[in-house]
Amino acid sequence: MFSISQNADGVVALTGRFDASQVDTAREVLDGITSSCTLDFSGLAYIASAGLGVLFAAQKRLVDSGQGLTLANLNPHIREIFHIAGFEHIFEIR
Amino acid sequence: MNRAADGAPPCQRLPAGGLAKMSGARRKFPRRIEALEEVFAFLQDFAAEHGFGERTFYAINLVVEELFTNMVRHNIGGGDHIILGLDHDDEQVHLELVDLDVEPFDPATVADVAVDGGIDSRRPGGLGVYLVKKLVDDVAYDYDAAERRMRISVKKSLEQ
Repeated sequence: MFSISQNADGVVALTGRFDASQVDTAREVLDGITSSCTLDFSGLAYIASAGLGVLFAAQKRLVDSGQGLTLANLNPHIREIFHIAGFEHIFEIR
Repeated sequence: MNRAADGAPPCQRLPAGGLAKMSGARRKFPRRIEALEEVFAFLQDFAAEHGFGERTFYAINLVVEELFTNMVRHNIGGGDHIILGLDHDDEQVHLELVDLDVEPFDPATVADVAVDGGIDSRRPGGLGVYLVKKLVDDVAYDYDAAERRMRISVKKSLEQ
């Protein structure tokens, strides 16, 4: 089960498993972000390249307009995948 | 044998045999992205039965997702199902995906992604295969032209 939603503070929370079947769900929310914000991964258990691609597209669009995404609370497995993919060069991660 | 830390291993040719030699589990899944939920449930059951650790479980989920979705998206005109086989020994888990009635496609031909640059230097495509090659010990590829059958076999070390 995957979910993504933006709370009143503007933080976008992702939970569950972000696999290739969830790309459209994530894109719907991320396409609506127009300024810098934080994505909270504390509830996210899993992501693979399809999910990384969606995040990359959102970040590219925002960076091109002087904004950007910050990723927070990645679990160790997801952090390892971000490291292998070189996404530490693309996102601010904390 | 190449290890993930040593860099991406080349794909190797498989010997004849394959699934018929595996004593683990195997199952057919519909050729569609929505079948991933069933695929993951199959992996979960196998991992729980054999006591795989979290890191190994994450890696085999990702590897199977990447290879399965590649087959769904790129093997146009393929059969209705993709076969997934699982097995393990004391040191490694063995994964095998078989796609029928398809054109040959060797993942080793996918160029590695340049991961050291910033956002403006990145190009789309190839990240899934790159992650697979970095996470596993061996990727082997075999294509039977007579049967139009593609088989990808992966070995991944079990965490200690």
